[in-house]
Amino acid sequence: MKQFVIIGNSAAGIAAAESIRQNDKSSKITIISDEGYAAYCRCLISYYLAGEVSEENVVYRPESFYKENNIELLLNKKALSVDADKNRVTLADKSQIGYDALLIATGASPKFPQGIKGLKNKGVFGLRSLKDAKDISGLLPTVSDSACVLGGGLVGLKAGYALNKRGLKVKVIVKSSQVLSQMLDACAAGLIQSKLEENGIEIVMGADAAQILGDNQVKGIKLDSGKEIACSLVIVGKGVSPNIDIGKEAKLKCAEGILTDNHLQSSVSGIYAAGDVCENIDVSIGKTAVNALWPVAVEQGRIAGANMTGKACLYDGSVGMNSIEFFGLPVISLGVYEIKNDAASLEKLEMFDEKRGIYKKLILKEGVIIGAIMAGDIRNSGLFLSLIRGKVNVAVLKDKLLLENFSYPHIAGMTKEKEQMYV
Amino acid sequence: MSKRIFTGDLATKEMRAIAEDSSIQTIWDRKLKQEPHCGFGTLGICCKNCNLGPCRIDPFGEGAQCGVCGADADVIAARNLLRHIAAGSACHNDHGREIIKTLLLASTGKAPGYKINDAVKLERFAKEYGLETSGKDVNKLAEELAERLFKEYGQQSGELMLTNRAPKKQIDIWRVNNLMPRGIDREVTEALARTNIGVDNDYRSIMMQGMRTALSDGWGGSMIATDLSDILFGSPEPLRAKANLGVLKDDQVNIIVHGHVPILSDAIATASVDPALIQLAKDKGASGINLAGICCTALEVLSRKGVSVAGNFLQQELALITGAVDLMIVDLQCVMPSLPSIASCFHTKVVSTNPRAHFPGSVYIEFHEEKGMEIARNIITMAIENFPKRDKSRVHIPKESRDLVGGFTTEYIFKMLGGNYRSTFSPLNEAIISGRIRGVAGVVGCDNPKLKSGETHITLVKELIRKDVLVVQTGCAATACAKEGLLVPEAAFKYAGKGLQEICAAVGCPPVLHLGPCVDNSRILTACCEMVKEGGIGKSLDELPVAGAAPEWMSEKAIAIGWYFVASGAMVVFGNPYPLHGSHNLTKFVTEEVESVTGGKWAFEPDPIQMAKIIIEHIDKKRQALKLKPMMYP
Amino acid sequence: MKNLYYVFKKCVGCKTCELSCALAHSQSGELSEALKEIKLSLPRTTVFAATGENYPVSCRHCKEQKCVSACMAKALTRDAATGMVLHDENRCVGCWMCVMVCPYAAIRPNRKIKLPLRCDRCKDKDQPACVKACPTRAILWEEEPEPKK
Repeated sequence: MKQFVIIGNSAAGIAAAESIRQNDKSSKITIISDEGYAAYCRCLISYYLAGEVSEENVVYRPESFYKENNIELLLNKKALSVDADKNRVTLADKSQIGYDALLIATGASPKFPQGIKGLKNKGVFGLRSLKDAKDISGLLPTVSDSACVLGGGLVGLKAGYALNKRGLKVKVIVKSSQVLSQMLDACAAGLIQSKLEENGIEIVMGADAAQILGDNQVKGIKLDSGKEIACSLVIVGKGVSPNIDIGKEAKLKCAEGILTDNHLQSSVSGIYAAGDVCENIDVSIGKTAVNALWPVAVEQGRIAGANMTGKACLYDGSVGMNSIEFFGLPVISLGVYEIKNDAASLEKLEMFDEKRGIYKKLILKEGVIIGAIMAGDIRNSGLFLSLIRGKVNVAVLKDKLLLENFSYPHIAGMTKEKEQMYV
Repeated sequence: MSKRIFTGDLATKEMRAIAEDSSIQTIWDRKLKQEPHCGFGTLGICCKNCNLGPCRIDPFGEGAQCGVCGADADVIAARNLLRHIAAGSACHNDHGREIIKTLLLASTGKAPGYKINDAVKLERFAKEYGLETSGKDVNKLAEELAERLFKEYGQQSGELMLTNRAPKKQIDIWRVNNLMPRGIDREVTEALARTNIGVDNDYRSIMMQGMRTALSDGWGGSMIATDLSDILFGSPEPLRAKANLGVLKDDQVNIIVHGHVPILSDAIATASVDPALIQLAKDKGASGINLAGICCTALEVLSRKGVSVAGNFLQQELALITGAVDLMIVDLQCVMPSLPSIASCFHTKVVSTNPRAHFPGSVYIEFHEEKGMEIARNIITMAIENFPKRDKSRVHIPKESRDLVGGFTTEYIFKMLGGNYRSTFSPLNEAIISGRIRGVAGVVGCDNPKLKSGETHITLVKELIRKDVLVVQTGCAATACAKEGLLVPEAAFKYAGKGLQEICAAVGCPPVLHLGPCVDNSRILTACCEMVKEGGIGKSLDELPVAGAAPEWMSEKAIAIGWYFVASGAMVVFGNPYPLHGSHNLTKFVTEEVESVTGGKWAFEPDPIQMAKIIIEHIDKKRQALKLKPMMYP
Repeated sequence: MKNLYYVFKKCVGCKTCELSCALAHSQSGELSEALKEIKLSLPRTTVFAATGENYPVSCRHCKEQKCVSACMAKALTRDAATGMVLHDENRCVGCWMCVMVCPYAAIRPNRKIKLPLRCDRCKDKDQPACVKACPTRAILWEEEPEPKK
């Protein structure tokens, strides 16, 4: 009988618990969550806010799941510290839980930029938790019909989209020269931007909020240009930072996230990390990175969980990627999405069909794909991901990669996939 | 975008890249979207002729081996082939019908824009039809001839008159095998009737009708079209012009004639040099009117008026994408339905003119011979008025264009070889007999995105002339080689073998002779007849050391042409396989057995070097049978 | 467990499997009517031409099930009994994460209705429609081979 403790009750935590249970039917598993719900689909909260998904469908694992799998779920409990020498976790209520193996899957929190006055005002939100979504939703009937979103990243745009769907006039304040600068190049971002603008979302480019106006309740925002925009709701989407405090406190090696090895173990034996808090190798850039992404979290959770039970399972890194769709325009970004000035060794293949709204780009390094953007036609994204992960030299396929009929048969046998399809 | 190798033609490459940048879909994009092409269609074993089906045969032998009616792969593939031949022949025959109509209108004074241009040829031709010519007024004779020719279209029994041009032994082959066409329209009609469900169910018999139908085209509709066009618009004589998209001019009103029938394009060519219209163009800011052509109508006005060729079939869309075409006039055949939508991306107007061929999105101005010149002038005026709307920032004309010599005819070959006073085919026959020239090959037909467009022609023709084979060309195949610079006398010194070089130097002709549009493949037939008549190299057409090729064929017309040559004793190589390989028996019949009937046969070989090898082997086999001297410069 | 396998040498690229697949998943089950349906039934299998041969591509329901892991809406689940990946259209939000990770590109984004389409092996019928429809019998419906050691 062992005691497994998991801090965090989302994608990575649940995947780890399931993985532990698969390998070990009897040991005790405890999940500690500082939220008040059974696991839910965090990525769906913007859809929930938009009114596109019911609360029922936001549930990722119902309460019965924990019972069936003999998992102890501690809700509304915050883990404060870890004593790595004594294998103990201390909670905010001072209670302590011992462990044989610990997984830190504490996720990330929205960044609230310093230096903006009024962030504490009523009507200013992040959009990270179901509670955020419910709070915003609860406020909607009482606020006027305009809202500002700070940040043109994924969260910002998804929030803007949701509020637009709820009938609000939305202005998105974007500091840089394009939206989604963390996952797209200017061309793809331009397609997204026009799509948003066509559908009534206003993008204010090259501006940042200097101050949230209003004494207690939000009345508007003041831009760094001095211009003021009236609104009664502000959503801050300025990115997230991994919740590494508990790891730092336990003296785990951290960079942006908690650094982990190829078993997803931290610098301290017996303590693992997975999900948005975990930093590991990124295959496309060849360096460590935090790839805060649902599929990555699930995979890391599963592998970390297996390793916690002593079943050695190797983790071969992740690829930064994402998939979004706004108003019928799907866009997928994989790995390195832009050639920076200093990278002469990189090669770019691209096609842009403005009329059909299709843009595809691949970035190659010495014949190996290290990144891709697919906009409007995303069907082959999975092939490119597989080629990136497998570091496959595609020099011989260069003229075919972006054709519409490029397909799995072109690369069958070149990647690591094992399933048989042809005889 | 990508570096796909789809053609060697620089102008085509350049314009295709621009099309891609502007998100304009062209034939290559559409071809990609069609892939994979249906295997049943590719093998020729699907049948849609009746509502028992559609049916198809499992080529792997496990599934259905017969359609619902019981037709097996042989019957289905043969019926499909016969329908293709019928459709192709119908096109040429209908083309011929149009020219006869024009001759009739011109001779009776109803089409004042047209007149008899070659009275000598008219008289010679009328005599072939047994008309009394002496002392008769030219117009009266033309009228009688037109009426007589119309009768041949509706003729129910007997033989086509122009088959008499063939050597006696050839005529016997046709008669013995029941291949002699009885009337021009009748064979196409019978072909269609035979392919209905439950009519002709023997693939051999179906193919015999296929040959008879094709002969009604080659020795009927096509030959009439060629000779009457000479009579009406003038017999071509060699002249220099240019080919490729570079013939478009950025400071002139660019008008493109596209299609096949010369009646309108001839009027346009006449009107385009009208000083009043040129002045109008100048008033609108242009420095003149530039007429160019695409596909076979281009070759009609090329060989008679020296109008330059903007491009072949695959370049029709690209011409519009230059943004420099003010107006494109189309009649029929090989005109892509995509043209109006591509034109709509620019200021370009597409004018359709033939009541048989409508193109939604085009301006339709119905053509009538009675008002030919007036309509031509109106269309040119429309083009001039459209010139100021050209967006100069979007004009992109590739610089490529090459010289060519066009305008060869059977009659001119006489003159070329023997001079005006002792014109004769004898030097050609002598050159073949002595082994200076190996033989003659016709390299004709379409261009097709399935192959590296244009390249197949060029590679094949270069290889043939290198081996001392004199090449004659028509249609888009000729344009492909013209763009490579093979159709000028200088090409002989660059590419031809020593024997052929000597002949070209002596005569002053190119090693590759341009005989005109695809309807003028009939000139190859008449030239072959003259070779037999001259003597020494065979008593029927199949004994001649000649062969044909349609490396990039795509149209049904190419199939009809291929088969009038096979039925006339020639071996014809197609590049892309014709869809019949799902039937083992039919494949064997057309590639082997038919040789014992007509002496001709069909072969398939996509690789141009291999194709040249097949042709040379065939020619050498014929040389051996004729016991000709060994090649002088092997 | 049975799976679909393709004898690619026998595939003539007629796309009958595509047609029959779309038809089998249509409301009406009748070709001309199916083409008029608003929620247009699209084929879940596609025939591609590569290296001179034709290859149908369809969902493998693979052991790794990258798509199930990637599904942030829990619309994709693995059915323990059949080993098949099931898709719950009600939960699906059309985020295309599954398309992003499918190493066979076998999931077709139906953008009109914002749902990914994948082969469900015609689970309500005795055998997949494409198997029955293939005129050259290039599609096999067979037990999975033992994994290679």
